[in-house]
Amino acid sequence: MKRPLRLEDISRDGDGQLAEIEIGDLMPLPSGCGGLERGPGWKAVSREQKARLVCNLDGVVALGLPKARSEQEKAKQVELFISGLRKLLSRQDNWTFLQPLLLSLDYCAQCQTCSEACPVYLGSGRNDLYRPTYRAEIFRRLVNKHARPGGKLLAKLYRGDVELNWATITRLCELSYRCTLCRRCAQSCPMGVDNALLTRELRKLFSQELGWSPEELHEKGTVLQLEVGSPTGMKPRVVRDNIEFLDKEFADATGLEISTPWDQQGAEVLLIHGAGDILSWPENPAAFAILCRAAGIGWTLSSEAPGYDGANYGVFYDDVQLARIATRHAQIARRLGVKKIVMGECGHQHKAFMAVGDRLLAGDLNTPRESVMVFLESLVFSGKIRFDPSKNNFPVTLHDPCNIVRSLGIVEPQRRILRYLCPQFREMTPHGVDNYCCGGGGGLSVMSQTNFMDWRVNVAGRIKFKQVVEAFSDQPGPEVKKYVCAPCLNCKNQFRDMFEHYGARERLGIAVGGLAELIVNAMVGIRKPFIEWQE
Amino acid sequence: MPQMELAGSMYEVDEKGFLQETDKWNEDIAKAYAALEGVTELTEEHWEVIRYLRGYYLENGICPMVRRLTKATGLGLKRLYELFPEGPARSACKWAGVPKPTGCV
Repeated sequence: MKRPLRLEDISRDGDGQLAEIEIGDLMPLPSGCGGLERGPGWKAVSREQKARLVCNLDGVVALGLPKARSEQEKAKQVELFISGLRKLLSRQDNWTFLQPLLLSLDYCAQCQTCSEACPVYLGSGRNDLYRPTYRAEIFRRLVNKHARPGGKLLAKLYRGDVELNWATITRLCELSYRCTLCRRCAQSCPMGVDNALLTRELRKLFSQELGWSPEELHEKGTVLQLEVGSPTGMKPRVVRDNIEFLDKEFADATGLEISTPWDQQGAEVLLIHGAGDILSWPENPAAFAILCRAAGIGWTLSSEAPGYDGANYGVFYDDVQLARIATRHAQIARRLGVKKIVMGECGHQHKAFMAVGDRLLAGDLNTPRESVMVFLESLVFSGKIRFDPSKNNFPVTLHDPCNIVRSLGIVEPQRRILRYLCPQFREMTPHGVDNYCCGGGGGLSVMSQTNFMDWRVNVAGRIKFKQVVEAFSDQPGPEVKKYVCAPCLNCKNQFRDMFEHYGARERLGIAVGGLAELIVNAMVGIRKPFIEWQE
Repeated sequence: MPQMELAGSMYEVDEKGFLQETDKWNEDIAKAYAALEGVTELTEEHWEVIRYLRGYYLENGICPMVRRLTKATGLGLKRLYELFPEGPARSACKWAGVPKPTGCV
């Protein structure tokens, strides 16, 4: 049973668990999920892990922070948190995000419209802990009290005091990773408050001041990318070797000539994939190689680290890492002298390099950047490639990656492609800028420590899974192969984990893949269907 | 860093039980991991996969893409899941003592 949660509870009973999440309380899934209406649930954190790791939020552990060794250490961490709050409010330390931060801190009316827009809150069966305002209002009160003049007095006189102690900061840190940064809340807010931005400011404070961040985003994310070129660990030699291997594989399978060009000086297009596609979804980069050649585009990949991986996990948690990676990407494009950069099927790359990058990259670092959706549309309608849409005669629905669609407003190019090439294309409800996040946004899809993956497939992705099932409710049986087109690497990975968890392929015949694969599948003249429905 | 007992010795592992120091791996460790997942006997097919994964990792610093693994060993994905209950990344890499893949994979 859920108990009502008050803001002040976040500081109480430091080692105890703040809220209970029970599988029976979650939003019900539609009937017809093959008997999985409730889902298999999740693993508990083991006793041994509880003894070692901070586990005081909801029984789920994303970060795996080690327990503090002493009271002095706890006090020191709280002090660092306060100094971080002050830096967030300083123009010198936070020029990039200060203005939107202040707007979102100052104008919340507590109307809760955002909660009713939030996939995590709804998926959880309306658990108070996951209200966008729960995290944001605690943050707001701490900022007002500790980082603004006269705050301590005002906190006593005015709106209720939230005690700042070690329990407060460890829980806030973990809670900042129960949000997918999808910004559906911001879209729905009548005041324009962006709770996702507040969440990210919190993550940033913890990372930049205390060194608290998920290992998958930091040590094995941005640090690894800056060291070797990619969070996957692929060095330049390995990535070239892998692409060469794939060129041969797919040339044999399709009967087409495939040869990926590298480091072409002055090329029309520098294409930057998410490198995880090369390892986990190799049909996707192969499809781009086929399409670019067929349309006669002068394109290239870069083999200079990190120019072959558009990932930039800094956008999820840390401004310094974000700027380092974005700058390296921009420098590589400048050295190659390409006319434009096309960002592959990766949502957060769009956000980092198109939206945030616009504030970072000046002068000749600002090579024009184009979304993959627009690029693919121009290839499909160039008149240079022949298609037979009947080859795609199976049910297809489209997932809208939040960073590309809601945040950048790129809605129609991908739909014009699907309406042309997929006779059984159908929309989810709602879709476009009103879409729901896959549940893996904000870096969550690469995180799987302890029992975190169970949480993101059960809670964060729940409403999206429901939408997918409902989009195919006219042909629910596994004998009809169905395709969720998710043109974003992180979204695809989240769908894969979710579909595996629910047995969606075996029970419902649902598979996931990108957009370029669907386009190649409809091409005239390939030897056999490009999309392989895994048995 | 968590510790785990495998084949009578303690080793450093990550939260998912993956061996942290790949050079401390030996065949008994592979057998111990397999036993924990209910596989009591490792066949030549198992060893072929494990040897390939270790060889590729030591040369390239990451695990191979599944497509390379299936091509090199001639074993399909379905067969790999029969041999390694949690699949190539979560079981086979673990038994081979190499880190699971990182990043958006």
